[in-house]
Amino acid sequence: MFKAMLIKEFLLVSRDKHALAALFIMPAVFILIMSLALKDVFNEDKALIEYAVVDKDNSLESFSVMKKLRLNKMMHEHNISDDFKRPKEEGVQFIVVIPKGFKNQFSQADANNSALNIEVAADIGQNHLMLFKTQILSAVMQVRLDAINLAQEMQRHRDKNAPKAQKIEFDEKKMMKVHYAALEAGEKPTSTQQSVPSWIVFGLFFVIIPMSTIFISERKQNTLMRLSTMNVTLPVLFGGKIIPYMLINQLQVWVMIAVGMFIVPLFGAAPLTIGGDISALVAISLALSLSAIGLSILIAVSVDSVEQATTIGGIINILLGAIGGVMVPKFVMPDFMREFANVSPMSWGLEGFLDVFLRRGTLSDVLYEVFGLVMFGLVSLLIAAIIFKYKIRRVA
Amino acid sequence: MIKITNLLKRYGDKVALNHLSLEIGPGTIFGLLGPNGAGKTTLISILNGLTQYTEGEVSVFGMPLDKNLVAIRKRCALIPQTLAFYENLTVIENLNFFGGIQNIEKAQLKKNISYAVETNRLSSMLHQRASTLSGGQKRRLNIAIGLLNDPDILFFDEPTVGIDPESRNEILETILSFKKANKTVVYTSHYMPEIEKICDEVAIINAGEIIKSGTMEQMLNNASASQVIFEIYETPLETLEMLSAQGSALSVVDSMHLLLDEKSSQAVAKTLDLLENAGIMVKNVRYGTTTLESLFINLTSKGRRDV
Repeated sequence: MFKAMLIKEFLLVSRDKHALAALFIMPAVFILIMSLALKDVFNEDKALIEYAVVDKDNSLESFSVMKKLRLNKMMHEHNISDDFKRPKEEGVQFIVVIPKGFKNQFSQADANNSALNIEVAADIGQNHLMLFKTQILSAVMQVRLDAINLAQEMQRHRDKNAPKAQKIEFDEKKMMKVHYAALEAGEKPTSTQQSVPSWIVFGLFFVIIPMSTIFISERKQNTLMRLSTMNVTLPVLFGGKIIPYMLINQLQVWVMIAVGMFIVPLFGAAPLTIGGDISALVAISLALSLSAIGLSILIAVSVDSVEQATTIGGIINILLGAIGGVMVPKFVMPDFMREFANVSPMSWGLEGFLDVFLRRGTLSDVLYEVFGLVMFGLVSLLIAAIIFKYKIRRVA
Repeated sequence: MIKITNLLKRYGDKVALNHLSLEIGPGTIFGLLGPNGAGKTTLISILNGLTQYTEGEVSVFGMPLDKNLVAIRKRCALIPQTLAFYENLTVIENLNFFGGIQNIEKAQLKKNISYAVETNRLSSMLHQRASTLSGGQKRRLNIAIGLLNDPDILFFDEPTVGIDPESRNEILETILSFKKANKTVVYTSHYMPEIEKICDEVAIINAGEIIKSGTMEQMLNNASASQVIFEIYETPLETLEMLSAQGSALSVVDSMHLLLDEKSSQAVAKTLDLLENAGIMVKNVRYGTTTLESLFINLTSKGRRDV
């Protein structure tokens, strides 16, 4: 009996072009697009700031500041003429004007008349401006320190008995060491590593559409009624849905991982690597699958038409994704939204996948998320069974 | 084979079946007639264990339905009005699925599939997707699925809705063949000629009650009827219409039937004289109704008037 249910479900899904597109092609394209789109967000070697400098001082100090800025990989300098236009028209975010007399601030206490002028494009946010100001400040400070070091060195040359001055340095790499938790020293997470888990979670929940569509068609065509007259019980009916779609979900996970590992690098982005345990990956994807299927069956038994199922299913999917940190990373959300994200099973699934992909998680690291997802799936199935029975009784 | 005693079904305050009693014997093709909302579907649903009844007794194969539902279902099949199969599966995949789901032993299932395919003339389209079949072929597949457990009782819920006359005749021939296999058929339809053609017994149900039942012969020849039917040799309709104009109670049914809406012996004698004078040969004279349809309309409209 059960074998027939499984074969039927596989055949139906394999022949539903829309379902296949929603389950496999859509998430794969999503991964490709989003990985490429976010490629530079997490890449500290890529310039985030486009700027230009107009040097009216033409001094050694102004040259030194400009040189320091050029060494900063976060910033990209554009050449513009002295009679420059607005930043946007010059194709930059900032224009720094080094005024005549700039070098004086290195030798005089009063620097009021030699302050740098910074022209900012109108669409630049405060965070971006702060980042740029910090980089400028850092460059000026380094030049100043170099000047102090030089002055001390010259003083020592004049007075051979003077003690050797300790060189004052301002090197970020020497001052701080950055280490990503759970990663090897010097290892950095890539954009692919950080974005693929989101799209796997999102893609798995798209099972709502084919599953509810088939279920509603079965109900409308009285196929479920016919199965009932053939002594097919509710557990067999639900089980015949859960197992095939769980296997389909696992196939989805591995197809998406393969896209991250082999297709994404072909377009210049970093490849996906699985840092954690495979057992943890399998556990979290099975648990996530159960929660997605439970929700799908709940939607399928609650609505009355295929149109309702696709609309409501699609909306719920997007809402859970938006709340759960799939579309916008949770670390950029405000505090209350980060708390609220926990209502979405996608959030639990995402945390589990991030444990595996980013934090070298083991099975014990994902058990909490696995438990939550399994409970969500089982409760959804229980509510679906109650609604299904109630509807049958009402019709009868 | 099916025995229903004092069956009552209520939906809240509404009575769907009102103390209905009925017996259907083995090997019978039993027609269940009634207007929409009469209670036919409720009755079929109860007999298939899809709906629970309020009061009364129902036994099938001599077993109480409520206590032996699983066993009874194994020997019955419901062929719904809708095409209850998977359009994206082929004919053979559908048959394998609906057979497999019933836990039928493999060799027996193979035999049953062959029977279902042969009976419904589906062998040339086994590997075609169901969605590509014609309306008639889909109906035949719908019936074939009902044969997979080799049922002793088949419930047909309007199986010929929306198909062409040729396909309809094919399906009716298929249903008639079940009688030879000693299967019992319970058949609901709105097409009275179909019922007349294939059914041995008929029950007319209205407002949850059986208002008339019996064999087809009993239904159409009824001494208590207020009408008399004259079966004649085929005569041009124009001639019959002229004749009808002479007697106000006489009406023309078709070129071989006249209906006298009065049953006194004087009126019958007068009509016979009229026909003889016109040179029309009479084959038979009987009390009753010309067709099942006229009986049905007569009875159900009376029921509606009474309500």
